[in-house]
Amino acid sequence: MVASPALTTVRARTLFTPLDAGGRADAVTRRLAQAIRLGLLLDGERLPAESRLAGQLGVSTVTLREALAALRTMGLVETRRGRGGGSFVRAPGEAGRLERPLRLLSLHQLRDIGDHRAAIAGTAARLAAERALATDVSTLREHAERLRGAAALTGRRRADARLHIEIAATAQSPRLTREEMDLWSEIGDLVWLPLDGADVTAAARDHDLLIDAIEAHAPAQAREIAERHVAAETARLLDLRLSLHRR
Amino acid sequence: MTAAPASAGEDLLAAVTATIGRVLVSVTGVGGALAALAAAAGRRPLRRADLATLRPLVAQVLARHRGFAAGAGVVLAPDALADAPRWIDWWWADEGIGQLQVDLDPGSAEFYDYTTTEWYREPARTGLPCIAGPYVDYICTREYTFTVSVPVVAGGRFLGVAGADILASEVERMVLPGLSLLGPAHQPAVLVSGSGRVIASSSASILPGEVLRLAGPGGDDRCGGDDRCGGDDGGGGRPGTMTASGPLPWVLLGGPASAAVARDEPATAG
Repeated sequence: MVASPALTTVRARTLFTPLDAGGRADAVTRRLAQAIRLGLLLDGERLPAESRLAGQLGVSTVTLREALAALRTMGLVETRRGRGGGSFVRAPGEAGRLERPLRLLSLHQLRDIGDHRAAIAGTAARLAAERALATDVSTLREHAERLRGAAALTGRRRADARLHIEIAATAQSPRLTREEMDLWSEIGDLVWLPLDGADVTAAARDHDLLIDAIEAHAPAQAREIAERHVAAETARLLDLRLSLHRR
Repeated sequence: MTAAPASAGEDLLAAVTATIGRVLVSVTGVGGALAALAAAAGRRPLRRADLATLRPLVAQVLARHRGFAAGAGVVLAPDALADAPRWIDWWWADEGIGQLQVDLDPGSAEFYDYTTTEWYREPARTGLPCIAGPYVDYICTREYTFTVSVPVVAGGRFLGVAGADILASEVERMVLPGLSLLGPAHQPAVLVSGSGRVIASSSASILPGEVLRLAGPGGDDRCGGDDRCGGDDGGGGRPGTMTASGPLPWVLLGGPASAAVARDEPATAG
């Protein structure tokens, strides 16, 4: 945790020059949010006490509290109670930046996306199991291996998307393939948002089972595994969406 | 399993071979022009701008095979050009003509690694023309597609491939009337790729994209291992590999046996 007891640096003066008389909560919100995104305020940094910060910004504590509440909703500030408490900066990492699009989706929309994905991925898996050749299976295994080796979020997202698009291509269906492509370009970033290293292992296990079922020409099993895989990812997204309100 | 013996069937295969062969000849012309460019440049490595002289030729290919070839162009081997590690100069025909835009940066989320595709890999490996597919081409045509490609070599160095995309629906349109007209003894009549993937069929119970599980010459349960260019046709070549003047690596099947095979039932010859 980085402490900044006295914000007397140039950066602090720039940030906290008083807002003009009409300064409103959203102006404060914008200014602080920008400072956090630009890295002027560091992750974990404790903001000055409310009365002092309000004084530095030239707004009332009521206005400041409004702004802090907005920043909390945006996930950029975390307020802890009790001894050692206060408002702390939560700088958006790779995942943090991606939380914004998630906020724009309702739980109903997320559930609906999950339903759509399950329909496409489930049918693609079933048909792929009926129609795959040995070379298709090798291609799928290559893509599954690439996901296992991907370190960063963008790498995982790309490898995961390609694997699912390849499964739809293995189903010999241009329409299902286009649906998978559209779905992944729409929600690909979101899918990997709540996932960490442990989930990569879980996803990789699902993918291996799915490819095994495709290789064994077991359509019903392939479909069931694909649907279960999508349902688990949807459940994690829904949890994350709900948790945004608890911060 | 029996191959359809009817001469009508052979005529059908000859006709589709001739049409695809004409595309192959056009594509070979583009490949030759690329090789000539490299030869003329001598020791100076080619640059992207040099490829502009190929474009009228590619446009001619698309015009000549309008409605049949959906895209055409050249795809460069990694490091074949001085100013791009990887390069695709590929054009699609629609109302007009447009250039295919793909992400060739290996670090990007949308990176397209064309070196793993059958239509690139097989000519690079065998030095022979190839017909890949049918496969779902989600990069260019976004349709069920064949790609014919030829290797381009200059001064003993593999420069890349020249190729063209052919829509599977056009091939079906060409062969389906003929399949349906084969005699009753040859129904259902099914055209399959060298690896057993159905290209066209005269019966709704055997559909394009399905795999006929055949007893191959090597005892495999399939015609071959690959629906694109790979596999083993038992004759030393590969199902997807063609010679410039040789036949397509496709098989015409006819009679009740083909229906039995499609359902994984034991097929009785004759």
